[in-house]
Amino acid sequence: MESLDPRIARLEISDDAILQPKEALDQLVTYEVFVQKKDKAAFEHVGIVHASDVEMAFIFAKETFSRRFTCFGMCVVETGKIRITGYTDNDNNIYDQVAKVEHGDGPEEIYEIFHLKKRGKQHVHIGSVEAESYDNALYKAKVLYDDEKPKFNVWVIKNSDILFSDEDDKAIWDTLSDKKYRDATAYRAMDKIKKFKEEQLNQ
Amino acid sequence: MNNIALKDLLYKIADDQLIIGHRNSEWTGIGPILEEDIAFSSMAQDKIGHSYAFFNVLHELGESDPDTTAFLRNAEQFHNCQFVELPIGEYDFSLVRHFLFDHSEMIRFEMLTNSSFEPISLIARKLKGEVKYHIMHANVWIKKLGTATNESIERLQKSLDEAIPFALGIFEESKYEEELANEKIFPGEIALKERWIEQISDVLKQTELQLPDLSLTEARTGGRYGRHTEYLQPLLDEMSEVIKSDPTAEW
Repeated sequence: MESLDPRIARLEISDDAILQPKEALDQLVTYEVFVQKKDKAAFEHVGIVHASDVEMAFIFAKETFSRRFTCFGMCVVETGKIRITGYTDNDNNIYDQVAKVEHGDGPEEIYEIFHLKKRGKQHVHIGSVEAESYDNALYKAKVLYDDEKPKFNVWVIKNSDILFSDEDDKAIWDTLSDKKYRDATAYRAMDKIKKFKEEQLNQ
Repeated sequence: MNNIALKDLLYKIADDQLIIGHRNSEWTGIGPILEEDIAFSSMAQDKIGHSYAFFNVLHELGESDPDTTAFLRNAEQFHNCQFVELPIGEYDFSLVRHFLFDHSEMIRFEMLTNSSFEPISLIARKLKGEVKYHIMHANVWIKKLGTATNESIERLQKSLDEAIPFALGIFEESKYEEELANEKIFPGEIALKERWIEQISDVLKQTELQLPDLSLTEARTGGRYGRHTEYLQPLLDEMSEVIKSDPTAEW
């Protein structure tokens, strides 16, 4: 069996100059991660992880995004499953561009709506709608959630595509408060370094 | 309260955590992908944190301070099972060990939440959430790779076959099983092992992996009594290199 260990299986060395196609990269797809920073607070986008599937993405997201900060819930969704509108700026509301989409005869399902209310900030979950398509969901979101303030960008995600943390697993968020030693700020070295330098000078 | 029995229990738990934490931290920087590197390293750090909590209880019972206990003993003074001191091998072996060891740890902590010795039950309750995540992580990987490709299944199976005798060594009985059970401090290794077999079997059933016949497997024991493989002392030497360079330094 060929080793998977990068310390053993080094880059193959070959000194011939025959042109060969560059091998495809087996890059994993990305998943978007959302967290609840307070109990029952809205889910906020925090970043992405690479993973082979949504379960693995959740496992990675937990350590990547909830270790340093308190967290009460988390959800992940494959990047490609998110439908996004274009971006606006200044006082332009993206919902002004959203035309009415009539409800057809198809089955309804739940879509989750996320708003970008400030450029440079994160998308925040605003609510859900029952709709028949992404476009229908976006229109319903406009009716339900468009207040006076401009929305610069909207994400529409099928609820069934999202993996939410389980209420029964709440304990996994429990243990963070007294772990300051994990942060570099908890290790105050400057005083000791100064003292050491002074001792060196005085010698 | 039987202090010798209690200390024996605390030492084996703390030493297991310290050594597996150190071993798993060896993957830091060379994990298979960045996200897994972060997760595996974080869990390794959790383990060291767990050992620290138990070394603190030992300190309160009159043993040396946690740093001295952790870094300045020789291999034969360590009570960890041999399983945790084995080299990390390739990632399949480290994952299988993580899966087998952490399930035992989860059950041990669950049992200890009801311990009559309060400092232990408090720690066990506090740390259970972390171990719960460790189990989720292990289960996801084992289920994924245990059903993925011929190569991944073959690799995990080979590692599982190699790991099982050592994993059974986790449950090597101490001289104090009866005292600990009678005083309701800890129900004992045999009870723990039974639940462990059930729990790992439940996960393995969802994969192509076969749990070796445990009745035909001889457990690799001795660790709980200070008998270790050739791999422990080099690990301890490396772990204590810094503190030994100046044992009186203030950190």
